Amino acid sequence: MIPAAFDYTAPESVADAITALGSDSEEIKVLAGGQSLIPVLRLRLAAPTLLVDIGRIRELGGITDEGNTLVIGAMTTHAEMADSELVKEHASLLAKAVETVADPQVRHRGTLGGALVHADPAGDLLAPILALDAELVVAGADGERTVAAADFFEDMFTTTVGENEILTRIRIPKHTGWGSHYEKFTRVAQQWSIIAVGVTLKVDGGVISQAKVGLTNMSSTPIRASAVEQALVGQAPTADTASRAAAVAAEGTNPPTDTNGDANYRRHLAKVLTGRAVQAAVSG
Amino acid sequence: MTGLKVELLTDMGAYLGLVTPGIPILGAFMFNAIYKFPAYRFVCTNVFTNKNWTDAYRGAGRPEATFAIERLMDELAAEVGVDPMEIRERNWIKHDEFPFSTVAGLEYDSGNYEAATAKAKELFGYDALRAEQKQRREAGDTVQLGIGISTFTEMCGLAPSRVLGALSYGAGGWEHASIRMLPSGKVEVITGSSAHGQGHETAWSQIVADRLGVSFDDIEVLHGDTQISPRGLDTYGSRSLTVGGMAVIAAADKVIEKAKPIAAHLLEANSDDLEFSAGKFNVKGTNSSVGLTDLALAVFAAHNLPDGAEPSLDAEATFDPDNFSFPHGTHLCAVEVDTETGEAKIRNYTCVDDIGKVVNPLIVEGQVHGGLVQGIAQALFEEAVYDDSGTLVTGSFVDYLVPSAADLPNFTTDRTESPSTTNVLGVKGVGEAGTIASTPAVVNAVVDAVRHLGINDIEMPCSPHRIWTALQTASSGADTPRTKTMVDDDVNPSHNAQVSGTDAGDGSAAAQGSNGQGGLA
Repeated sequence: MIPAAFDYTAPESVADAITALGSDSEEIKVLAGGQSLIPVLRLRLAAPTLLVDIGRIRELGGITDEGNTLVIGAMTTHAEMADSELVKEHASLLAKAVETVADPQVRHRGTLGGALVHADPAGDLLAPILALDAELVVAGADGERTVAAADFFEDMFTTTVGENEILTRIRIPKHTGWGSHYEKFTRVAQQWSIIAVGVTLKVDGGVISQAKVGLTNMSSTPIRASAVEQALVGQAPTADTASRAAAVAAEGTNPPTDTNGDANYRRHLAKVLTGRAVQAAVSG
Repeated sequence: MTGLKVELLTDMGAYLGLVTPGIPILGAFMFNAIYKFPAYRFVCTNVFTNKNWTDAYRGAGRPEATFAIERLMDELAAEVGVDPMEIRERNWIKHDEFPFSTVAGLEYDSGNYEAATAKAKELFGYDALRAEQKQRREAGDTVQLGIGISTFTEMCGLAPSRVLGALSYGAGGWEHASIRMLPSGKVEVITGSSAHGQGHETAWSQIVADRLGVSFDDIEVLHGDTQISPRGLDTYGSRSLTVGGMAVIAAADKVIEKAKPIAAHLLEANSDDLEFSAGKFNVKGTNSSVGLTDLALAVFAAHNLPDGAEPSLDAEATFDPDNFSFPHGTHLCAVEVDTETGEAKIRNYTCVDDIGKVVNPLIVEGQVHGGLVQGIAQALFEEAVYDDSGTLVTGSFVDYLVPSAADLPNFTTDRTESPSTTNVLGVKGVGEAGTIASTPAVVNAVVDAVRHLGINDIEMPCSPHRIWTALQTASSGADTPRTKTMVDDDVNPSHNAQVSGTDAGDGSAAAQGSNGQGGLA
């Protein structure tokens, strides 16, 4: 339970961090809160030679309102998001999902950027970020590039962020006035999602005008339940609509099998949880 | 009920631990539980496998036996169409039948299953919950209610040494204590029953304060270092109070016995005229008295002792019990099963334990709560899962699910009091009661919630996936497996690397009626 020896640096700017990532140390890992990386190091599942701790880079913090967009610094903690009026008002799905992550200790150390780049398919923040059509800003030696959330997650624990890059901020189009719900299924309170369903939708004039649905742990990456979204849009927000949308929740999914359940059970859960999440999102 | 036949196949793991093959043997005496079976046969086959080795786990043998019999009582009730509580009431040992010699050869000293059950049913709201269950079934609610019962007993306070010897245990079951009366008036109590969180420091201080009439705050309990407490057999099998506590009492009584002639000498009275109470020797019918702590200083100074008296009030004692201790209780659990997801959630858990007299209610409460959580966790969450090659796949707490307070309801706990007749305090063990009783209460509740849908068994832990799968199988009309037979006839021990033979089947366990403890072997 003691990590292998490693060098450690804590740069204070994104530029210095990128320089550190470009050093000739054999294996470099970015420490962005450490709620996943530290256990991995302690179990020696990874043995990097250099840790670049980006926790002291002030420009990576903060939640700001930029007109139609909410901008969240990559090193913003779960607790900061959960407490943020901006997040609650303009990205309520993210606010609700973040409350379900682990425990207060983890939420005060873990960060949005760390969770996204770690890309655990059972992580709770990936599907909401995907559903909210966020853009992710990645900085490297050649400057910044912006990646749509839909293109960000490549596979289990794999994203588009390159070896010499860091995720700096997450830009979320405001979803002001949208209802939302994150329905998470676990066997004990402190457990990774067996699966979870994030729904955010807008009701205009008695009709669901827009709907976005993200699924957690239903594939090797978070995925959008497009069929559910299509089944919701243009319909009255009724129980009947919810159940018809829920029926197609497992389309296009490829869930894992593990000790908590097989793929078939997860597909079934996706339907049940989607129905519940839609109903809850309609009422809040 | 006319008889009980148990065929037990036990996975020892790859190696034997301290008491590994003894665990099912402890269970052998408990399958008959609180019920009056005229006949009983127990056959056990222990097999080595390439899985992790096993050893005693809180309750050791008794949880397994209790789970089997309490699950069976529910299945029997369903089979004959009566309420599962009624089938228990019809068959249990009545209060006026104690002491009772069981078919397995034990003598239960005291108990009152009627009283514990009546109290538990009232606290739980048994009849109202049955009514709600009926209404939910009729309405076809997606969330169904199940009620689980476990009217458990156990044998604990391990153990009479001669019984352990008859069972080929390596050690005896006595316990040791000594008391040092310091000249300062303080009292040191040394116990071999070493606590690791059970609160012996508090309970032993209470006992000695009562016995010797000294202040609770002046007592220090020492243990855990063989330089201080070289003799002892330790804390296990819910034995500390019923065995170690009795050794403490015996040592305290020896202190009083030792002090008496010295007190008589100092008071210039005859020993026979002295009475000891509230920490003082008093000459009967006079105001002449001397306190025990004053005596301790006088003895240490040794200026004025009777001829031949040694200058010490210290005493030590070893206690070996004559019988086990037989706590019992009625545990009732209400579970809500979400038939859409298969999730089982405990709504209420009520238990009324009868552990005889109680020394420290708060410590007892803690033991019960911790035990309940451990037993409930086994029913719903914890599982060592191995893959086909025998590799443990639940090797960390990410996969091996341990519940926290967030996953459990508030427990309703209460007690009835049927004092033990085999020790001077009238106490029984409580350390394992919760783990022994709770597992079948929870699984019975889960099965009860879905029984009307055609399900009569769900393997532990009753995970949402397992419950949902059972529901799917039942609704598809396929035959659900009956409660599994405990021994698969196809298992040929010669296929395994080695077989540890612990067949008690032809011994007393199969005896015709009771033959007392002498027949345990």
